[in-house]
Amino acid sequence: MKYLLPLWLLLFVFLPLAAWAEEDAELERVLAGLKVSAAGIETLASDFTQEKHLEIFRETLVSQGRFYFARPDKLRWETTAPVASGFLLNGSGGKRWHQRAGAPVPFDLGREPGMKLIAEQLLAWARVDLDWLKERYHLTLVGTAPVTLRLVPRQVAAKQYLDYLLIAFDAKGRHVASVEVHEQGGDYTLIRFDAAVLNQPLDPALF
Amino acid sequence: MIGSLFAALYRYFAPRRALLFALTLLLLGGGLAGLSQLQVREDIEALLPDDLSQVAADFRRLREAPFARKVLIHLRGSDPASLSDSADRLAAALAPPYFTRVMTGPASLDTARLPEWLAANLPNLLDGDDLNRLAATLTPERIDILVETAYQQLLSPEGWVTKGMVRRDPLDLRAFGLEKLRFVNPIGQARIDDGYFLSADGRGALIVADSPVSLTDSQGAERLLATFDEARTVLPAGVTATLVSGHRHTLANASAIKGDLMRVLSLSSLAVLAIYLFFLRSWQGVFVFLVPSAILLVASGVIALAYDQVFAVTLGFGGVLLGIADEYAMHIYFACRGSGRERAELVGEVAGPVTGGALATLASFAVMLVSSLPGQRQLAIYAMTGIVAALLLSLVVLPHLVRPAPAGGTLRLPLFTGGQRRPRKTIVALWLALLAVSALFVGDLRFDGELRAMSLIPEELRRAEHDLRQAFGDPRGQAMAVVEDTDSETALARNREVFRFLRERLPEAAIVSLAPLLPPAADQRQNAENWRAFWTGEEGRRILAALDAAGARLGFSAQAFAPFHAGLTAPPPAITSDSLRQAGLGPLVDALLVKNGVLTLVPDSAEARELFAGENPARPAGVHFVSPTGFGTEVAAAIQRDFSRYLLLSLLLVSALVVAIFRDRRRILLALVPVVTGLLAMFGIMGGLGIPFNLFNIVATVLVIGLCVDYGIFMVGNGTGAGAGGVDLSVLVSGLTTLAGFGVLVLARHPALHSIGVTVLIGIGAAIPAALLVIPALRGERE
Repeated sequence: MKYLLPLWLLLFVFLPLAAWAEEDAELERVLAGLKVSAAGIETLASDFTQEKHLEIFRETLVSQGRFYFARPDKLRWETTAPVASGFLLNGSGGKRWHQRAGAPVPFDLGREPGMKLIAEQLLAWARVDLDWLKERYHLTLVGTAPVTLRLVPRQVAAKQYLDYLLIAFDAKGRHVASVEVHEQGGDYTLIRFDAAVLNQPLDPALF
Repeated sequence: MIGSLFAALYRYFAPRRALLFALTLLLLGGGLAGLSQLQVREDIEALLPDDLSQVAADFRRLREAPFARKVLIHLRGSDPASLSDSADRLAAALAPPYFTRVMTGPASLDTARLPEWLAANLPNLLDGDDLNRLAATLTPERIDILVETAYQQLLSPEGWVTKGMVRRDPLDLRAFGLEKLRFVNPIGQARIDDGYFLSADGRGALIVADSPVSLTDSQGAERLLATFDEARTVLPAGVTATLVSGHRHTLANASAIKGDLMRVLSLSSLAVLAIYLFFLRSWQGVFVFLVPSAILLVASGVIALAYDQVFAVTLGFGGVLLGIADEYAMHIYFACRGSGRERAELVGEVAGPVTGGALATLASFAVMLVSSLPGQRQLAIYAMTGIVAALLLSLVVLPHLVRPAPAGGTLRLPLFTGGQRRPRKTIVALWLALLAVSALFVGDLRFDGELRAMSLIPEELRRAEHDLRQAFGDPRGQAMAVVEDTDSETALARNREVFRFLRERLPEAAIVSLAPLLPPAADQRQNAENWRAFWTGEEGRRILAALDAAGARLGFSAQAFAPFHAGLTAPPPAITSDSLRQAGLGPLVDALLVKNGVLTLVPDSAEARELFAGENPARPAGVHFVSPTGFGTEVAAAIQRDFSRYLLLSLLLVSALVVAIFRDRRRILLALVPVVTGLLAMFGIMGGLGIPFNLFNIVATVLVIGLCVDYGIFMVGNGTGAGAGGVDLSVLVSGLTTLAGFGVLVLARHPALHSIGVTVLIGIGAAIPAALLVIPALRGERE
C-alpha cells in the first residue's frame, strides 16, 4: 500500500504535468517558427469567404469579399456579395460604407470601443502579432500541418462575445488562412482567406 | 474726570513702582503665554461672510460646486496615443492618501455598459414628447433601413460585438436615450477619445482627481503638490503635466502671507526704530518704542486665547498696529520730556486728549464688530485690545519711566514750533485745492468683490489655468442652479423644472443636469405607463409589424428580436441614484447630488444670469442661481453696503466723541479737518487712479478715520494748552511711524495687504499735513 501513493502521484500529477510541459514547449517552437516566417510580410491582399452560422438567421449567411492589409495599421475589409459594404482603417481613424447608406462615413476608433476591439483583432491576425495574441488569449496548439491555434480570451470583456477562436495558417506559416470565431451561445463564423498575394504594392487609395 | 483718574493712578503707583512694573511684566507674560497657543489660519475664509446672508449662502454653494473641489491635471504632448498612455501612467502614480478616485475619462463611456443600460431603461426615461418623435421617425422606410443596417453589421466582423444589441434594440431606440447623455458631460469642450478626456486638437489630456486634502489646508496642499511632482516623473519625454486646483491658490497665498508677515513685521520695526532715533534723541525713547512691541504681544496673546485659530491677515495687521499704537506713548513722552511740572498734574492734562483720541480709534474699530466677515471681527478685537493696552501702558506706566529733558534735549522743528511765520493763506488755498480735486474723482471710486482679485495668483498658475481653459473650457467657472429640499423626490421634481426652463431659454448652452437621466419616480412611473400604452397601441403595433416584415425579408428568424419584444412589455425597475452609479455614472451623480439638493451646471453667461436676476414669474420656484461672476457682483454690493454702513457709523461715533470732548462748534470743525481731508483725498486719489475698494482696504478706511480723528483731537487739544508743547512733534512722529508701518505693507506681495498699505498711505499721508499745517492755519495761529 505504501508504494501505491507515489505511483498515484506519478500517474495523476507528474505525467500530465510532463505532457503539459511538452505541449507548451511545442507551442513555443511553433510560435517562434511563425514569427520568423511572417516577419517579412508588409502587405497582404486576398479574397475571403465568410460563413455566419447565427441563431437569429433562418439560414447560414454566406458572403464574399476582398481583404487588404499594409503594415503597420492599414486594412480594408470589403464585402462584395450579397451586399456591398465594408470598412477601412488607417491608424486610429477609418470609414465605413453600406450599400444603401451612400457616401462612406468616417469614424474614430477612440470613440467606438466595439469597432476598436474588432480592428485590433483583424490587425493582429494580419500582422501575425503573436505577442499581442498571447497577451489577450490562452493559446493552444491544435495542429501543426497546417499550424492551427485555439485561442481562448483572457479578458472578461472579450469573453462576453467570444468563446474561442480557431486560427489556421497557410502551409508556409506566413499568413492566416482561416479563422473560426466561436461565440458564447453556440453561434460561429468561419472565414477563409484565399488567393493571398503577399508583399505586392497596394493602391494607396484603398486606405 | 479722565484726567483726575490717571493723575490719581500716577500718584498711587509713584511710591509703588515695583508693583506697577511687576503688573506690567505679568501682563506681558500673559500675552507671551497666550502667543504660545497661537494657531495661524491662512485661508481666505477670514474675508468671506459667515452669516445667513445671500452672499454667505452663495459662497457655501460655490464651495460645494463639483469642480471647486477637484484636482485637474492637464497633460500636453504632440501625440494623442502617447498622451493616453501617459495619462494612465500618471493616474496610476497618483495614489492615496493625497489623490483618490483618479479619472482619465468618463469611465462609463469606454465600455458597452452605458448604451446597454440606456437601451434597457428607455421605458423610464422617454416621456410623451420622446414617444411622439419616435413614432414620427419610425416610418416603414426608416425601419427597412434600420433592419438592413443591422443585417449588414451582422455580416461584417463588427457583428460579433453588436449582435446582442441588434437583438435587444433593432430599431436603434437607444439613440433617443443617447440624446440624454448630451447633458452629462461636465467638461463640455473635452472630446471623449478611447475613453480619455482629450482636447479638441488632440494635444491635451485631462485627469480629474479627488483629494481628501481640504482646500484651505496649506500644509496638506504643500504635501499634495510634492506628491504630484514626484508622480509626474513617470511621464515620458515630451509630455508635460500641470496641476490646477484650489490647493495651489491656498499654497501660493499662504507662502506669500508668511513671507509678508516676516517682511512687514521686521521692516516696520526697523523703520519705526529709525524714526525714534532721529526724533526722540534719548535713551528714554526706547520706552516709547517698546510700547507698540508690548501691545503687539498683548493683543496677539489675547486673540490667541480668544480664538481657536487666528487668521494670518489679522496678524499681518500687527505691523500696522505697531505704527498706530505709539501715538499715545509719543504724546506722553513729549509732554513729560518737555516740561518739569508736577508729573501727576501733567498726566492728568494729557490724559484727556489722549483718551479722547483712543476712544475715537476704538469707536471706529468697534464698528467692525458688526461685520459679517469673521476676519474683520477678529481684526476689530485685535486692534481694540492693542489700543486699550497702548493707552494703559502710555498713561499708567510710561510717565514713571520718562524724565524731563535738560534744556535743548528735545528736537524742535521750526515749521511746527512756530519759529517762523506760516504761509496761512497758501496752506489753506492748497488744502482747498486738494479737497476740490479729490471731490472731482470721488464719483469714480469702484468696489471690487472679485475673490481672485484678493488672492495672489502666481504667473505660472495663471498660465496653467489659462491653458486648461483653452483646452477644456472652464469646468471650474460654471454657474450652478441649485434646488434644495429634504425630500429627494421634491428636489428631483424641481430639478426637472429647472432643466426644462434652461433648455427652453438657452437651447444652445452646454447644460449639465441629472434631470434627463434621473427623473422623479412619479415621472418614471408615468413614462413607463406611456411606454406600455404606446407599444400596445396602434402606432406601436404598426412599428412592430413593419420590423417583423423587414426582418423576415432579410432572413431573420422569428426569434431574432425576441429580447426586444420582451423589453417592451416588462419595464425595468425605477432608476435611482444607485442604479446610475452602477451604470458608470457615479462621478456625475456625486458631483450633482449634494446634501438635500440637486445642482444643474450652466455656463456662467450674461444670458444665464439674466434669467435668474430680479423677478421672473416663469422661473421655477425654489431655485438658487450661483454664478462665480455674479458672486463677485454680490460681494461688491455687500462691500459697498458694509462700507457705507461703516463710514456712516464711524463718522457718527467719532463726531459724537469730538462734540463731547470740545463742545465748541469751531473747535469741533477744526478737529474734524484731518479726517475729512484724509477720507476725501483717499477716495479722490483712489477714484482717479482706478484703485478699487475691496474687502481689505475697507478695514483701512476705518483705521484712517480713527487715526485722523486722533490727530485732530491732539492738535485742537494743544490749542487749549493741554499737554503743553511738543504736540506738533508727537503728531508728526506718530504719523511718520504709522506711514512707516503702512509703507511696509505696500511692499507686501499679497494683494490684500498691499491694497491696505496703498489705501492708508494716501489717507494718512494727506491727514498729517492737514493736522500739522491746516488746523493751525485755520485757527489763525501767529506766534
